[in-house]
Order: sequence, then structure tokens, then C-alpha cells
Amino acid sequence: MSLTHPIPLPQAGEGTLPSRRTTRVPSAAKRERDRVRVRELTGSMPSLRRLQSVAVSLAFPAVLLLLWELSARYGWLPEQILPDPRLVIQTIQEFVASGELLDDTRISLARVAQGFLFGGLAGLLLGIAMGLWPRFQAYVDPLFLAVSQVPTLGWMPLLILLVGIDEELKVTIIAWAAFVPVTLNTYRGIRGVPARYREVGQVLTFGPWSALTKIVLPAAVPTIFVGIREGLANSWQTLVAAELFASSEGLGYLMAWGRQLFQLDLVITAMIVVGAIGLLLNGGLGAIERRLQRWQVAS
Amino acid sequence: MTTTSRQRRVFSRRASTNPSRRSIIALAALALGLAVAAPAVADSTVIRLGYPGVGIDNRPFGYGDNVSVAHIGHFIEDEFKNDPDVKVEWTFFRGAGPAVNEAIANGQLDFGAGEGDLPSIVARSKGLKTKIILAADTRDPIYLAVKPDSGIAGIDDLKGRKIAQFRGTNLQIATDRVLEAHGLTERDIKFINLDTGNTLAALASGDIDGAFGGPEYLDLDRRGIVKVVYSTKSDDPAFGRQAALLVTEDFESRHPDLTARVVKAVVRSAQWSTDESNREAVFQGWTKSGIPVETFRADFAGVKLTDRLSPIIDDFFIARYRAQAERAKAYKLLRDDVDVDSWFEPKYLNQALADLKLEDYWPRYDATGKKVATGTVEQTQAATQ
Repeated sequence: MSLTHPIPLPQAGEGTLPSRRTTRVPSAAKRERDRVRVRELTGSMPSLRRLQSVAVSLAFPAVLLLLWELSARYGWLPEQILPDPRLVIQTIQEFVASGELLDDTRISLARVAQGFLFGGLAGLLLGIAMGLWPRFQAYVDPLFLAVSQVPTLGWMPLLILLVGIDEELKVTIIAWAAFVPVTLNTYRGIRGVPARYREVGQVLTFGPWSALTKIVLPAAVPTIFVGIREGLANSWQTLVAAELFASSEGLGYLMAWGRQLFQLDLVITAMIVVGAIGLLLNGGLGAIERRLQRWQVAS
Repeated sequence: MTTTSRQRRVFSRRASTNPSRRSIIALAALALGLAVAAPAVADSTVIRLGYPGVGIDNRPFGYGDNVSVAHIGHFIEDEFKNDPDVKVEWTFFRGAGPAVNEAIANGQLDFGAGEGDLPSIVARSKGLKTKIILAADTRDPIYLAVKPDSGIAGIDDLKGRKIAQFRGTNLQIATDRVLEAHGLTERDIKFINLDTGNTLAALASGDIDGAFGGPEYLDLDRRGIVKVVYSTKSDDPAFGRQAALLVTEDFESRHPDLTARVVKAVVRSAQWSTDESNREAVFQGWTKSGIPVETFRADFAGVKLTDRLSPIIDDFFIARYRAQAERAKAYKLLRDDVDVDSWFEPKYLNQALADLKLEDYWPRYDATGKKVATGTVEQTQAATQ
């Protein structure tokens, strides 16, 4: 991060830049902005506290790894069921080298991208419609709530009859996994926009479209984003379950294959990739979310 | 009311046919650092047999091998009927051989009763300690069933088609061999992993172009839902599948006497089930699996019972395992080498043959499949039907 902020921080050792800017900004607003900047900046500094929190978050996985290693060494669990960690590392290397892991990961990501796009868009539209038109919401809500109580995989038997066992099935299940949380949170977000915000729109004689894009949606973004994040996480989790059944490629399939051929190291490899990508997706969306909500902190 | 009872039924069925769930729980327990104890040692008086398969709708009955005949005819239970402290326990695994492997690794089984060649070879490559003590099923053909309108008339038409296969079972290696003989590999075909029950449903609904499998499809063929366009029966019998009775080394070393008596009981059942005069009775017994008797008549048409159900571990049987192990490695179904020769332990079988005076009852074949000794069972005649 470049240090073009107006407040000279002790670590930065740089105090000449701000003066030119301060003359232009009204003082009250400036102080508020500075406060925000400082908070942002110190938040991303590798301070002792940050190191501590990293250490804490790594402690549990480290203990698990240790237990795994001990189990492999002393045979607490049969090696056929919990293979040696070194074997898993070797398997990861082999499958990365052969390109198989990358292929399967790409296929899985493509499926999730497709399903999440459909499910997320549909969820956004339905959520917006429900949020804007209470009449529509009244019609749709009971059915939607009832239907959303059925877990994603519970739709599987019915879906197989409707769309077969091909790509459509996987994409539909993934889309459904995203659809429910996105719809719910979009609706909640829009309903939660304070009435006085809308009144501002009326005062400014905004048309319905401008009111939606300039006032309602921006105000609802934080809640909508919760839904999107949850939806993506759901999609990714469901992917594996969808691929376990009747597929011939993808990370879930890799797991099924590993299990059928008694290669639990392969199962664990796939689990590690699934977990790592899930973490990345979540982290990436978190970063986007913080960017999108910047205006809110500054206001 | 009905819902709860149905739920209960579903749950209890799950518990009995899906022990992999237990292995997942075991893993979770380890992850929490709770599992430090070794798997509990089982009650020494329970003989736990695991059968790799279920009947239609998860019926707890097998078919197509001599071990299932022993189960249906209570041969093993009868052997121990005067030993009230010995209990015989059967578990049927919908997940077939791979699930039996998991249960053996977990210490939940003493015998793999009729486990197929590929899954047991895979398990051996992973260091699972078992012995092959009896042949359960030899030259078991595989079939290719296709949608009638798929335009598939044989193996050569399979390129690029969507075909179901039960991965990790002895079907997979048998399928790979057939493909190889026709100049194809797994990569040329879009294989979908489905278990037998789901394959039948997918075939019926037309979701897949076809499926490789056992005699399960013959009934659908008769009803016109699918067409069986290929069978190893009319090709090379060496393409067929094998299955065996396996005992864990642990159980064998603790209970050689019980192991011998289990083998003896299965040999007795095989004596009955390879006798041609019992042909129809054998097939009727297998219908407990929910598969109609016509299927078994067709599956065994032109085949002597002894060709399939003989318990003899001869050179042909051992050669099949050797070949399957080599091929499994070549097809990358396993990564480690497997020592096949030290796996067979025929002493219990030989003891049983001597005790029951059955040494000359079954024919024997050499590694190439040529008959080297005839057996008296070949003189038995089918009862007039």
C-alpha cells in the first residue's frame, strides 16, 4: 500500500506529502477521512497483533497435522484408512505433475461458476422483486420458504427424473445452493433500506429506476453481499456432493475414484484442494465486499 | 406414523449396509484427537462375514457364487449349530468390494465372502492383510447392456458413448480387458460411476447409453428395456471375473480351527451347488436377491455349474489373479506392486476336500484354461425340467 495518506505515521517516516491536500479539504470532513484511513492502514500492517492472530489460526491445523503424523507413525488408524501424510504429499505432487489435479479443479470451478451465475442471478432478481413489491412477496414467500427448507441434496432424486444425470443436474444443484441464500438476503437487504433513504429519492424526484440503482441497491449491498458470499460457499460445498454421484470428472469424482480404488491419499488430496479453494473464494469475496462498502464507512 | 416407521427402516438399513459411514466417523474422531485406541478386538466367538453386494432394493442376499449359496442354505450356520458360543454374522455391502475392503481395514470383518478380484488386489496393494482360502466364483461373465435405440451393436461402437460402470469392483478390470481386446481404453468412453442399483434406474430412464455389468441386466433385456449386445461368454472366457473367500490374517492366526470349519462348510455347499441335478434349486435360491430365476437360467445357459462355482484354487484361478494384478497396474488402477503368489493359502481347502472325500469331485485347469483333470461332478445330470 502506498503511503499517500494525509497523516504522518511514525513508522512511515514521511511527513511532507499531506500538507498540500489539507488546504483543500474542509477540516471536519478531513478529520473523519483521516481517521478512516488510519484505521485502514494500521489494519493491514504486519503488527504484532496480526502475527498473533495468524499464529492462533494456524495452531489448530498444526495440532491436527501433528496428530495425523503421530497416528501414521504409531498406527492408531489402519494405514489403508488414514494414509501417511508423506504419501498424501507425494500424491499431490504426482497429480499436479500429471495435470490431472488441475484438470479436475478447472472442471469443478467451471461447474460452480456456471451454477453460481444462474443461481445467483435468479436469486438477485427474485429477491429484488420480493423486496420491491410487497404484493408479489406475499404471494411468493410462503412457497419459497417451504421449498427452501428442503436441503439441496434432497432435490436430487426429483431432479434426476427431470434433468437426467448429466451436467444439467450438477449445475442445477449448484445453482439451487446459491439461489436460496441470495434470494433471502437480497430480499432482506432491500426491505431493510430505511424509509428515509427512499424519501430522499422522492424529494429528488427520482424515477423508479434511479431510485433502485442510486438508493435502494447501494444501501442494500451489505446484506446482499452476505447472501452472495453464503451462496458461493454453498455452491462450492454442494459441488463435491453433486460430483460424487454419477460423474466422470471433477474434484468430487476424484474423491469417489479414490474411495472406490482404496486410495484414501487421493481422497485427502481432493479434500485439501476443495478446502483451499473454498478458503480462497471466501477470502476473495470478503475483499470485494470490503471494497464495495467503502463508501459506507466514509459517509 | 408411516413416515416415522419408514424413516426408521431407512436408517437401520443404512446402518447395516453402509459401514463406510462408520469409517468417516472414525476419521472425524481422529481429527478431534479423540481416537487414540486401536480398533476394538472383536468377540472371538463371532464369525463376521462381509458379502460384496446386495440384491434388488438392498435385499441382504447375494447371487452368482458359491458363498451366496452357502449363505442362503445356512451351510456355515449349520456347521456351528452345536457350538452355541460361535455366532455367524453376515453383512451385505451395497458398496460392493470397495466397501468390504473398508470394513476389513476397520477390523469389522473376518471374512470377505466372495470379494471380487480387483478390489481385493487393490486392497492387497495397500497392505491389507488377507489370505485367499477358497475360489468363490470363476469365469463370471460380464455383459454390455445398451438402450435399444442407442445404435450400439457391440464393443466397437462404444467410442465416445456414455456408459455406466461400478468403479473399483471386479467389473472395472474385466471391462478394461474387454476394451483392450477391442483396441479401446477407458479414456475412449465416457464412463459414469454408478452402483448396480442406480445403474438399473439410469438404464431404465435412458440417462445413459449403456452399462457394463453382471446378469442384473438380463431381466431388463427380456422386458425390452435394454438390449444386451455383448457378453464375455461368447468372447474369451478369460475375460470373466473371479471372486474368492478371503480371511483376515488376524482371524486366521487366532482361529485356524474356525477358519477350517468355515471353508469346510462352503465346500459342502459347493458340492451341492455344482451338482447339475440341483441346477434349478440353486437358481431358485438366488431369487431371494429379488432377481428372477430366468436371469440365472440365461446367465448359466451353456455353462456347467462347476465352471463357475467350483471352490478349487487351481492354476487357472491363480493365473487369473496374477493377470488381473498386472493389468490393474497397467491400467493405473493401483500404484503399488502386488505379490499374488504368497496370497493363496489352500491348506484349509485341501483339508476339507480330504475330510469330505471330495479330492476328485471337481475338475482342474492349468494356467491357460486347459483341463488337466476331470472331476466326478461332471457326470451329474440336470434334472428334467
